Amino acid sequence: MRNPDLSSSLFWFAIGIGISINSLKYGFGTLHEPGPGFITFFAGAILSLLSITLLFSSLRERAQRGGLRDLWAGFELGKVLYVVLLLVAYTLVLKSIGFLISTFVLLSLLLRVRGTYRLVTILFMALLATACSYLIFEIWLKAQLPKGILERII
Amino acid sequence: MDILHYILFGFGVAFQPVNLLFCFIGVFIGTLVGVLPGLGPVAAISLLLPTTFRAPPVASIIMLSGIYYGAMYGGSTTSILVNIPGEAASVVTCFDGYQMARKGRAGPALGIAAFGSFIAGTVGVIGLAFMAPPLAAMALKFGPPEYFSLMVLGLTVLTFLSGGSMLKSLMMACFGVVIGNIGLDLMTARPRFTFGMNILLDGVGLVPLVMGLFGISEVLLNVEQQLRERKIFETKLKGLLPTLQDWKESIWPMIRGSVLGFFLGILPGGGAVISSFVSYGIERKLSKHPEEFGKGAIAGVAGPESANNSATAGAFIPLLTLGLPSNAVMAILLGALMIYNMPPGPRLITVHPNLFWGVITSMYIGNVMLLILNLPLIGLWVQILKVPYPILFPLILLFCLIGAYSLNSNPAEVGLMLFFGVLGYLMKKFKYDGAPLVLAMVLGPLMDNSLRQSLLMSGGSGMIFFTRPICLVIFGAVAIILLLPLLPLISRIRKSIGGAEK
Repeated sequence: MRNPDLSSSLFWFAIGIGISINSLKYGFGTLHEPGPGFITFFAGAILSLLSITLLFSSLRERAQRGGLRDLWAGFELGKVLYVVLLLVAYTLVLKSIGFLISTFVLLSLLLRVRGTYRLVTILFMALLATACSYLIFEIWLKAQLPKGILERII
Repeated sequence: MDILHYILFGFGVAFQPVNLLFCFIGVFIGTLVGVLPGLGPVAAISLLLPTTFRAPPVASIIMLSGIYYGAMYGGSTTSILVNIPGEAASVVTCFDGYQMARKGRAGPALGIAAFGSFIAGTVGVIGLAFMAPPLAAMALKFGPPEYFSLMVLGLTVLTFLSGGSMLKSLMMACFGVVIGNIGLDLMTARPRFTFGMNILLDGVGLVPLVMGLFGISEVLLNVEQQLRERKIFETKLKGLLPTLQDWKESIWPMIRGSVLGFFLGILPGGGAVISSFVSYGIERKLSKHPEEFGKGAIAGVAGPESANNSATAGAFIPLLTLGLPSNAVMAILLGALMIYNMPPGPRLITVHPNLFWGVITSMYIGNVMLLILNLPLIGLWVQILKVPYPILFPLILLFCLIGAYSLNSNPAEVGLMLFFGVLGYLMKKFKYDGAPLVLAMVLGPLMDNSLRQSLLMSGGSGMIFFTRPICLVIFGAVAIILLLPLLPLISRIRKSIGGAEK
């Protein structure tokens, strides 16, 4: 897959076909009485038609454009993956560990992604941000953030 | 004199203390997110939406609108002082605004931007007050086929104006329609595309989708690159008031920009962005000294800044009269109105006059507040600009996480937001526009409904869309717009707008 449009059009083509097939399962209905899958069938079909058009136009431009790798040339993909992983982990443990602890840990780790601060500074900033957000969202706006393992204390 | 009567009624609503307070909070937060790069009005409004559920509906809408036009003000500040636009509609302001700042005229540039925005806001509010009621009266005659064709037109115009590849934008619109129809089918109560996940039974929430596509993805894009050191122009800001000569050069660009912005704002998609570019182009054409543009011409700040502000007022017209949003912010407001049990549409003005007139007059009051906030407090905004990104982005992420979680106290909403965050990141990498997806997602269920109702009406004949005169005209317009990019001249203009936005 040398051209980004080539690979993305194939991706969307597959998605479009998948949507249309699933829509048929939900029930296309008839023109007189359209079923639940009626509009999504057409949306999926048009999506795959458009992706084929994109596929062909990308084949023509192949020579001028760079490959998939060029999209990330000069960028640090590792940092993005790290941040996404942290956020996924946060989502998974939020309910059981609770807002205060998981947010403090998350912020401490996130602050190190781009910053070059001393550990004490980072911990202080994470603590401050956690406390402020707790005050604003839990106490003031009553957002009912999960308490987790601190349930008995607070 | 009916309108005058209603405007006075609106001021009565807007001047209630609670509404004044919410208006102030809105414009304050709006300016803040406008100043902060990487957190736009869309993310901010979706973040604050859940917090308004317990507040009075009119006050909530006043606040959320305040964020929208407040961000337009704030965005100009960063454009002028740092050459980094806070949001897309202020890109043009960088051209001459930053040059003025470098010549030591940052004060007048900020001043004229604020005054221009104020005048434009005024024009926008007056236009809204005069145009919306008759339009709504007309829209009362629309049936499902007319609504369906209008929505198709809206999506087509959006993909046309969205700058990048129209093909890709259309693809995103199709995908958005599908996302909008995830969940229980209203007519048969059968689940669609839920894949056994409970969270999807109620459909994909607008807030996690928007915060993912516009908030999280933006952060991910910024995290992967070495940010340029933001240089803030360290000059003493003095003399914010423009001179008489400045006024002379700016007054007509302001008026032209305001009127132009208002009408372009009615069109779906990027009204504020497009109108600022068009206004800049017109002013350069009309100027006696076109060579000064790009080197610090004050008209190049006054025109576009006015245009992007009145466009925000124009954008309210389709929402408040037809119930159809024209951009992502309006889509969130539509969702908000639904939640407050005030479904927007032609009847909104008559059924909830306090909402309609209260909100538009509050925009006028909000504009005065913005003038007061922006000029004397400019030092504060400059300080905020100095917060380094390594500290800023964890906070933006935290706000998004809390916002998504507090919707239903459900971590699954956060997961959904992260999914759309990664999708949005990849879409930006592969140059797919997120705006058509969001709009189509909101319109999706409405389109499903009106299409099915139309076919029921016609007994299964698709010809219903071509035999009713209004539908025929609308579909004719759709066909023309779809064919337009094939003309070389139009294609070149679209590319140049798209390129400039980048």
